[in-house]
Amino acid sequence: MNTLTTIDELAFASPSQQEVLEDTTSDHALLEATRTGDEDAFAELVSRYRNQITSYIYRMTSDYDNAVDLAQETFVRVYRARDRYQRSYAFSTYIYRIATNLAISELRKRKRRKLVSLTGFFQSTDGSEPKELNPPDCRPLQDSELVDAERRNAVQRAIGTLPEKYRAPLILRDVDGRSYDEIATILETSEGTVKSRISRARGFLREKMRAYL
Amino acid sequence: MREKKCETVRHELEELMPNDECSIYATQHLRECDDCREFHQKQTRLRQIVGSLGTVEAPPDFDFRLRARLANEVSNAAFPVRVMQWSFASKGFAVATILLLLVGGVVYVRTILNQPVQQIAEQTIEPSQPLPKPVENEARPSNAPSIVASDNTSRRVAGERRGPSNKRPSLVAVDLGSEQAPVFSDAHRHSAIFPIDASTESFKVSLDDGRGNALTISVPSITFGSQRVLPNANQVAQKGVTVW
Repeated sequence: MNTLTTIDELAFASPSQQEVLEDTTSDHALLEATRTGDEDAFAELVSRYRNQITSYIYRMTSDYDNAVDLAQETFVRVYRARDRYQRSYAFSTYIYRIATNLAISELRKRKRRKLVSLTGFFQSTDGSEPKELNPPDCRPLQDSELVDAERRNAVQRAIGTLPEKYRAPLILRDVDGRSYDEIATILETSEGTVKSRISRARGFLREKMRAYL
Repeated sequence: MREKKCETVRHELEELMPNDECSIYATQHLRECDDCREFHQKQTRLRQIVGSLGTVEAPPDFDFRLRARLANEVSNAAFPVRVMQWSFASKGFAVATILLLLVGGVVYVRTILNQPVQQIAEQTIEPSQPLPKPVENEARPSNAPSIVASDNTSRRVAGERRGPSNKRPSLVAVDLGSEQAPVFSDAHRHSAIFPIDASTESFKVSLDDGRGNALTISVPSITFGSQRVLPNANQVAQKGVTVW
């Protein structure tokens, strides 16, 4: 695999060489190289995306160990399907789609296993979508550092209580900063649906995070 | 009218990225509408908080564990049959096939076992036919006396009825209930007498079904107290000789 070793190489490279370098280090090129048996290329892909994917799945599942496992499973699936990969979309979209599917599958498994907190007893019985009870914390706030840590925890908890269909677009948009178009491709839905779900997710969060706003 | 305006502006605010600036129309509306201004402030704050979550890093051994997992994948790929990865339909089909084979096997075996008995049961032995003679083995004056009772005779009868095409040897059931039991006369008795020394040897009976299956019944030595032999000649067993 061709990679830059010094800054000079980049500075003095002719435009065509730069183009070539850029091409060989693109995600598509790395996956192409992986397909031909270049393990370093796959290692490069992993190092590019491991934190993003782990973080994304962690935000979705609120369980770090599980998130690491699922992130690894994501890369295993990418590797396994390397021969079937098509360049129709960006690699990041492709890998995020796999990660999303795994995370949602995990959330559904948990639901089936009835791994719901005791607050689940207070779920609505009017047939609406079940939501875990997470009343706003109205205790007085103290030290700013503690407040920040507590606020992050509160956000993570609040995100964790969102229904999965609202959770994924919100994280992709507000945590990862992805475009509506990309989110729509990852979630295999329309852009309008994505916007509507993000809006509703923020509405839920505003209610739950009232004390911090 | 005002509500329509608020809705439009809020819609625009929702879609803004954190560092983007809103349109002049929205800016003007935010100056006039307190509700929308408050909404905008809260929305901005919320997005800042959510955005501050940042990225959680993968553990340092992530690559190592992934490599191990991939190596495991490759080694598993050497075995083409990976049941755990089969789809539900494939698993169901496999289970159904195995069950079908098992049931079929059981039915086949039972049919094979039951067939000869049923055939023979239907074929009652006619009285005019000569009955199979009781087997009288010669007395064996050896140290390990035994009787070999074979069903060759009865098999022969059944074999004659089935015809020569049926080569498979099988057990034969013969109903002798309506027939008179054979009586051993004195002459018979003498030929059927064989010595049993119960004090020293165990009594053995070997049964052979003619198919190579042999069954040996061993009766252990029986003692009757002091094993004294009565001098009276009316005793059941003569001295050194036992009547069978």
